[in-house]
Parts: sequence; C-alpha cells; structure tokens
Amino acid sequence: MKRVLVVLLAFLLLATPLSSASAQSQTLDKIKEAGVLTIGTRTGSPPFAYINKNNEWVGFTIDLVEQLVIPAIAKEVGKPIKLTKKESTPPTRIPLLNSNSVDLIAGTMTDTPERRQSVEFSLTFFLTGAQFLVKKGSPIHGINDIAGKRIAAQQGSTNAKIIREKVPTAQLREFPDQPAAFQALVQGQVDAYTNDGIQLYGLKGKAPNPGDWEVVGDFFSEEPYGMAMRKGDAKFKQTVDAGLKQGFESGKYFEIYDKWFGPKGELPYPLSPQVKAYLLKQIGK
Amino acid sequence: MSYQLKWSVLWSGQSGHWLLQGLLTTLQISALAWVLAVALGILSGALRTVPFKPLRAAAVFYVEFFRNVPLLVWMFFWYFGVPPLLPRPVQDWLFDHSAEFWAGMFALGVYHGARMSEVIRSGIQSIPRTQFEASVAMGLSVWQSYRLVILPVALRLIVPPLTNDSLNLLKNSSVALTISVAELTFQTRQIETYTARAFEALTAGTLIYLVLCVGIAGVMSVVERRYAIPGLIARVGGPGGHARP
Repeated sequence: MKRVLVVLLAFLLLATPLSSASAQSQTLDKIKEAGVLTIGTRTGSPPFAYINKNNEWVGFTIDLVEQLVIPAIAKEVGKPIKLTKKESTPPTRIPLLNSNSVDLIAGTMTDTPERRQSVEFSLTFFLTGAQFLVKKGSPIHGINDIAGKRIAAQQGSTNAKIIREKVPTAQLREFPDQPAAFQALVQGQVDAYTNDGIQLYGLKGKAPNPGDWEVVGDFFSEEPYGMAMRKGDAKFKQTVDAGLKQGFESGKYFEIYDKWFGPKGELPYPLSPQVKAYLLKQIGK
Repeated sequence: MSYQLKWSVLWSGQSGHWLLQGLLTTLQISALAWVLAVALGILSGALRTVPFKPLRAAAVFYVEFFRNVPLLVWMFFWYFGVPPLLPRPVQDWLFDHSAEFWAGMFALGVYHGARMSEVIRSGIQSIPRTQFEASVAMGLSVWQSYRLVILPVALRLIVPPLTNDSLNLLKNSSVALTISVAELTFQTRQIETYTARAFEALTAGTLIYLVLCVGIAGVMSVVERRYAIPGLIARVGGPGGHARP
C-alpha cells in the first residue's frame, strides 16, 4: 500500500509542473519547436478546401489560415511558421486533433454545443445554413415538403441530425461523401440532398449541367463554421482568434472572402448584411 | 489536454438503441449474404472440378472476375449501376424499399461467393480422385457422386477456412455504409456525430465485432467437431482433443 502511495505521489509531482506548463500552451510550444503548423482540412469541399485543377491544395479556409492565423502564431512564437496540411473528414477530425496529429481543424466544421465539449472553437469565420439540392421542378421547396421523401445527407453532418429530429418520417439516406450522395440524387435513389447551402452551391457549380439543379428552402439550421482546437489550451485559442480578429478589423478577411465568393470568385456567394453583422458582432462591432 | 473518456455516452440518449439497430442490420445483411455466398461458392467450386470444360470455364470466369475487383466497386455497381437497367416504376419501388440493403447484400454475397468457391474447390481437390472414380464405378451419375460422396466430405474438410472467410464477410459488411446502409460501423459514426466522442463509439463497435467473430468461430468449431467423420481427418492432439480454432 505504501509503495502504491509513493508511486502515486511521484506521479502527482511529475504531473504538476506539466499542468502548469500547459497554461503556457503546449500547442504553441510544439509549433515553435517544429516551426510548422499542421492543420486538418478537406480535399473535396470547394471553395473552402479542395484540390484544384492544377493539383494544388487551396481554398478559402486555407487562405484564412495562411494569411491571418499563421502571422498571428509567428508573432506569438517569434519565428516564421510553415503550414502542413492533412486530410481530415467529419469522422476522423476530432480524433486527429486529440491525438496531436494535427493542431487545428480548418475546413468546414460547424461549431455545435456537443462538439464544444470535446474541442475548442475559434471565432466563427463563415455562416451558412442547411438547404436542399433538387432537380429543377421538384415538388420539394423546403423542409416542410420532405415528409415521406427520400433525402440524402452527409454522414456525420449536423443536417442529418436536424432532419431526424424535425421530420422523422423522411427517409434519410446518409452517404460518407458528397460525390456518392450527388450520384444518388442524379439517379433518383433520393429526391433531395441536404447539406449546408454553400456546399450545395459548390456542388451545383461543379455539376456537368448546373442548370438542371436548384438549391431550395430557407436555412433550416444555422451552421457557423469555426476552426477547432484541442481543449484546455486558452493561449493557442487566443492566438488563433487574434489572427481572425485582426482580419475582420483590417478588412483582410473581406478581401479573402471576395477572392473566393465575390462576383469573379470560384463560387459567387455574396456576403449578406445579416451574415456580415453576425461576423462583426463577435469582435464587438 | 488529454482526452477524457466518458463511457456513459454509449448508453445515454439513443446510443444504445442505435448500436442495437446497427448490430441487427449487420447480422441481417451478413446472414443473407453468407447464404448467397455459400450457395454460389458450392456451385462454382464444384463446377470448377467437373469433367466438362464449358462449365469449368464459366466457373473460372465468375471467380476471377468477382474476387479480383474491390468490394467497394461492387457496392457501387449494385447500388448505382444495376437499378438504371430496370424500368422506372420498379426503380422507384426499390428505392422506397431499402434498395441499398439489397444492393449491399448482393455485393457482399457475390464477392464472397467467389472467394468461398476457391475454398470449396480446394476441399474437393484434396479428396483422392479415386473416390470419384469409385463412386462412378458403383453406378452413380456425376451429379449423384458430387451430391452423395464428394461434397459431403469436402464440406467437412473446409470448415476452418470457411470460418475464416465467413468472419471476413461479417467484417466486410461495414463497407456497405458507403451506400448508406445503416449497419454497425455506420451507427458508431452516428454516435460520434451526436456526442463528438469518437474513441468511445469506435471502442464499442470494435468490441461488438470482436464478440460476434469469436462467437461465430466458436459455433463453427462445434460444427466441425460434431460433423467430423471418425477416422477421416487426423487431428493434432488425438481424438476428442482440442479442436482447431
């Protein structure tokens, strides 16, 4: 018994300096030491993060990290930081983060109360909501028309959850990725595909005949996108938020937004006044 | 910064219900696919050894074509490729009645049928050719010799490798989640979505698969012992000793 106590005490003593060190930010220390920020992001979610025609891994979220977050981190640790990208999908991203494989999830992750119990979220950097993609002329115009219909959703997304709760009679078919869900819509396996509105516009834009498809319905959920970090590292979160805040204040964020979503961008999606107000409210404006 | 395990997510809320549903779907799709696979396996495995060349060629084609294309591709083939060949009303009816389940079942069954076929062929070929010749000499037709002499012995010989493939079939049923079949792996991901607790959900899924597989292996070893023909198979450990796992 005594020996057990001694061992326990030894562990406690060992653990104490470690936990006080974490107030310093283990993540920032790790980044400083390696000189690299590793993010988990997507390869097939244009225009947020995807592989483009020239085989480059680019996107709106990646630009935000490169132009806003990295400078803030570099300033904090006092040396230049490089960026490494890893693929992360909805089912893998939280484990990747918690196992230290990546330091930041920067893709299209919705900030939800449940997820906040496992990870920390940055300021919201994009706001969208769930809608439906349907064949032109479909009788589905929104969430009130889907009872009994076959609806595709992306596995692991918040939209599927909301449909299950709000319209339990809808026949939900959940696919692991966008291409399979879209194929099911094209062939009529499902009557509509639900996802965040912005993603549906992206999918429609990439389709062989964009004119055949329509994005319909009011937002039936609010999907604020945030970057996710490990819990309990307040210093790192402050640093990431500071980068984003600086972007909102200086207008750099809106330049990047315009590059991807402006009239000449990859996917025209004008910033509505409500969304702009929502984003700026976070920094007290 | 370390991850705090919280096992209660597995029985609070709907998680338990989902796991159970996923387990049932996994068992249903695997059982049906297994029956199809064994039937196809016996048929094509036997055909590969019969003394008629065209039948042998047909069986070789089936085996090589279906086992050498990845299972994922077969899933997509049965789900996306086959329905458009059917008339529109039939398609709509299918899509309303779990088309994904049946597509997944066929994909699994036909794919594993090709693999089991090889197991069964090896069982048949391990029986001395003289047995077949003797049964023909006794006045049995080819069909009768297979049905009454060759297959009953071959099927007993191949229980261990067949168990192996049956377990693979069960675990491969998780690939059906790519065509939206809500089986066990799908449901563990579902729990992860709702609770953001991946480790707990995956651990639960892993344990269920493990228990299922160990259970099936146990049943198969009982089958092996109960149906063994005394004196036919020499066992390490002597008669009545340890069955092979």
